[in-house]
Amino acid sequence: MNEKWLLEKDDYVPKKERDTYIDKSILSFLKILSRIRSVKNRDKVFYRIDPVLKVIFTILNILFISLSRNFTYLFILDIYVIISILLMDSEDRKKIMSISFIFPIVTLIMLIPSMMKGNIYNSLLLFQRIILSVLFANILSYSTQWTHISRTLKLLFVPDIFIWVMEIGLKYIILLGEYSTSLLYALKLRSIGKNQDKQGSISRIMGNLFLKSYRMSQDLSSAMECRGFVGEYKVSIEFKLKNIDYIYGLINIIIIVLFVILNY
Amino acid sequence: MHIPDNYLSPSTCATLGVTMIPIWKWASTKVKKEMSRQKMPLLGICTAFVFLIMMFNIPLPGGTTGHAVGATLAAILLGPYSAVIAVTIALAIQALFFGDGGILALGVNCFNMAFIMPFVAFYIFKFVKENFPSERGQYVGAFLAGYISLNVAALLTAIEFGIQPMLFTDNVGLPLYSPYGLNIAIPAMMIPHLLVAGILEGLVTAGVYAYVKKLSPEIIYKGTSKKIKPLYALIVSLVILSPLGVLATGTAWGEWAPEELKEFIGFIPKGMIEGFNFSAPIPDYAISGVSEIIAYIFSALVGVGLIFTLIKLLSKSQFKNNPEKVK
Repeated sequence: MNEKWLLEKDDYVPKKERDTYIDKSILSFLKILSRIRSVKNRDKVFYRIDPVLKVIFTILNILFISLSRNFTYLFILDIYVIISILLMDSEDRKKIMSISFIFPIVTLIMLIPSMMKGNIYNSLLLFQRIILSVLFANILSYSTQWTHISRTLKLLFVPDIFIWVMEIGLKYIILLGEYSTSLLYALKLRSIGKNQDKQGSISRIMGNLFLKSYRMSQDLSSAMECRGFVGEYKVSIEFKLKNIDYIYGLINIIIIVLFVILNY
Repeated sequence: MHIPDNYLSPSTCATLGVTMIPIWKWASTKVKKEMSRQKMPLLGICTAFVFLIMMFNIPLPGGTTGHAVGATLAAILLGPYSAVIAVTIALAIQALFFGDGGILALGVNCFNMAFIMPFVAFYIFKFVKENFPSERGQYVGAFLAGYISLNVAALLTAIEFGIQPMLFTDNVGLPLYSPYGLNIAIPAMMIPHLLVAGILEGLVTAGVYAYVKKLSPEIIYKGTSKKIKPLYALIVSLVILSPLGVLATGTAWGEWAPEELKEFIGFIPKGMIEGFNFSAPIPDYAISGVSEIIAYIFSALVGVGLIFTLIKLLSKSQFKNNPEKVK
C-alpha cells in the first residue's frame, strides 16, 4: 500500500542563495593545485636553461628595471621578454600573457589622476616597468621546476632551515589544498535550501584544516625520525653549465652592461 | 596588501629587507629554542596552512568576497616567532611562484605582514586574555587581535606608499614611484581596512580560535611568561615611527644648520661658528660622483648595519650581566 504523498508531484523550488564564494574558493584552490602540479615541457630550449642562472638573472633584471629611467633600455628588455616567451610552450605562453597584463592595466587606470596633473612620463615609465617585472617573475615560475627554484635560494645565502620549510610548505600546499577542496565540496553538497550557518562553516573548515595540519606534522616528524633525520637539513645544488647556459648568461650580461651605459 | 615591485623605490625595499634579516635570525633562534625536534616539521606544514587561509573567499556585504591574511591566526595558534617564519615563507612562495607581491618588495611585505602583524596580534591577544580570562574575553581578544593588527599593517603599507613622492622624484620634482602622498594613500588604504577587511580578519581569527580551542585546546601556543624586552620594544617603535619623521615640516629635530639655529634661538653658539664643523662620511646621503639612488641605498644599508651592530653589542653586554638559565 503506497502512501498518498508519494504519488503527489513535488513542486520544490529552492530559495535563492548567494553561495558564489564557495565556488570561488574551490576555483582558487584548484588553480593553485594545477599550477603546482603542472609538468614542465623539458624539450623547449627555454626550459633547459640552468635554474640557478635563471633565478639570479631574473632577480637582477627586476632590480635594474626598477632602477631604470630609460625607455630605450626598457624597450630592449621588452624585445628580450617577447623572445623568451616565444621560446616557451604555447600553453604557458597563453597563461603568462593573460595573467601578466591584468595587474599593470589596473595600475595604469589608478595612475590616471596623477597623469592629469602632468606626471605623464614617469607614470608611463612605471606602467612599463610593472609589466616587465610581472612578466619576468611569471616567465621564471612557468619555465622552472619549483624544487629547483627553492634550491637556488641557497646561493642567495638563505639558510637551510628556510629552504627546508619552503619545500615542506610546497608539498603540503598540495595535500592540504586537496583536503580543503574536499571539505568545500562537502559543504556545497550538504547545503540544501537556505543554509544560514554556511559562513560559520567556513571558519570551522579553516579550524579543521589547522588540526589536520597539526596531525600531519606529527606523522611527518615520526616518518622523518624513522628515516634517520637528526634535525640538520643540508641543501646541495648541482651547477653544471651547458652551451645554452653560456648563451643565456652572455645575453643577460650584455643587457646589464646596456643598463649601465643607457642609464648613467 | 601585497605590495608589487616598482610601487616602492628599491632603496625602501632594501632598507626594510635589511631590517628583516636580524628579525628572521632572532625568530629562527627562538623557534629552535621553543620547539622540540619532533615539532619542527610543523613550521613547513603551517606555512602551507597560512598560504591556504588566503585562498578562502569569504562573502562581504555587497556581494563581493575578501580573504583573511592568516598572520594573526598563525601568531595566536603557533606563537609569534613561528608565525614570522611561516608567514615569511608563505609570502616568498607567493612572490616567487605566483607573482603575488613583488620579489624586491618581499622584505617590505614581510616587515608588514610577517613581523609587525603577528607581534601586534599576539601581544593584543595576550593582553586581553590576561585581563579578561573568561572564554568570551578570549574570543573578543582574538577578534581585536585580528582587527587591530591588520589595520596596523595597512597603515604601515599606506605610509610606505605615501612617503615615495616625498623622497623619490626626478629633476623636475615629479614622483618616480607611487605618485600619491600620505593624504591620499592613508585614506585609500585605511577606509576599506577599517570598515571591512579588519572585521573579516577579526571574525576569521575568533572563529578558528574558538573551533580549535573547543576541539583541541592543548595544541594552542602557551607562550613564555617573559615580558618583551624594553630594548626590542623601543627599536620596534622607532622603526615604525621613523617614516613619520619625514612628515614633519622644516628640519628634523637636532639637525639644524647654524643659520636656522639663529632663527630658532636668536643666536649662533660660538663653538659652532669657529671650528666645530662636523662633516659626516656620507654628507646629506649623497656621495659625489655616484648617482643619488645608489648613494641612498648605500647610506640606508650602512645606517641599518650600524644600528644592528650596536644592538648586538648591547644585547651581548646584557647577556654577560644576567645570563639566562639553561633549561
